[in-house]
Amino acid sequence: MRMDKEVVNPIIDTILGSITSGLNSLQASMEPYLPELSWVAYLAFAIYVLIILAGGFMSILCRNLVRAMMGLVLTFLGVAGMYLLLASPFLAFMQLLIYVGAVCVLIFFAIMLTRNVSDGEEAHWPTLGALGYGLLALLAPLGVIGPLIIMHAGKIPVQVPVENPTGELGEGLLSDYVLPFELISIILLVAMAGAVYLAFRGFGPEKSKRHSK
Amino acid sequence: MTTLTFFLLASLLLLAIGLAGLITRRTLVGMLISVELMLNGAGLSIVAAYKSTAASDVLGQLATLFVMGLAAAEATLVLAMILVVHRRFGKVTTKEISLLR
Repeated sequence: MRMDKEVVNPIIDTILGSITSGLNSLQASMEPYLPELSWVAYLAFAIYVLIILAGGFMSILCRNLVRAMMGLVLTFLGVAGMYLLLASPFLAFMQLLIYVGAVCVLIFFAIMLTRNVSDGEEAHWPTLGALGYGLLALLAPLGVIGPLIIMHAGKIPVQVPVENPTGELGEGLLSDYVLPFELISIILLVAMAGAVYLAFRGFGPEKSKRHSK
Repeated sequence: MTTLTFFLLASLLLLAIGLAGLITRRTLVGMLISVELMLNGAGLSIVAAYKSTAASDVLGQLATLFVMGLAAAEATLVLAMILVVHRRFGKVTTKEISLLR
């Protein structure tokens, strides 16, 4: 049966309107417990947590390391969404740029250079004992730190995050926090030089000397 | 329960998943992936704590930027170490590389 647009559109409007008003009234009834955020924010938070969970378990359980890296990318995207929810879009952008753009490419190089693709050293499942230890390692932080977080909830006043202009970050980097800024550039330089030294050490004239021992 | 609690619990999840991966993975590459998960959780908890309390927003965001920079440096170094270990032992599983000399 074919229905006209003029008939369908008001029906969809009524359904969407009733859902929205229902969620709004649900939020109004939860008002004493939750701060004054729109239900859209909570919905986005739930979606991001689901993305993080899916990506996290994918990246520790997949036997193919390339798939594990794709799970890591999924987790990075979820965390970037969390940064957007926390009203810091610059950090979300940096998360995508640094982690997805640089760190994941490095990990991909590591996977490919060690030929760990689908039939590599991670191809079969670990023993039951190792899985048990893994489960213990999963539950220990949740059981120790989780109750602490919930116990201390609401002890300090919490405000809704407000976006601050990116220029303030630059001013902070060049005025108050100039020492960490310089230190991190030194650390990056030293790490790069060390990586180049380690990677190229086996080549060149000293190689034959080392292997003749 | 405040919004800060939700964000802190999400970053705790990242920490727990990363720790479990660090225990169960056999190769250095898999362990590197797990460490990146845990560092992400640390950054998320720092930003959440600074943004949703009265503390300075700029300090929190800059701290997380530093965590990201350290993670990039760490990934670079670990890639070089994995290359050296692979050249020396032919494998990157943690069981094989127990020889110190």
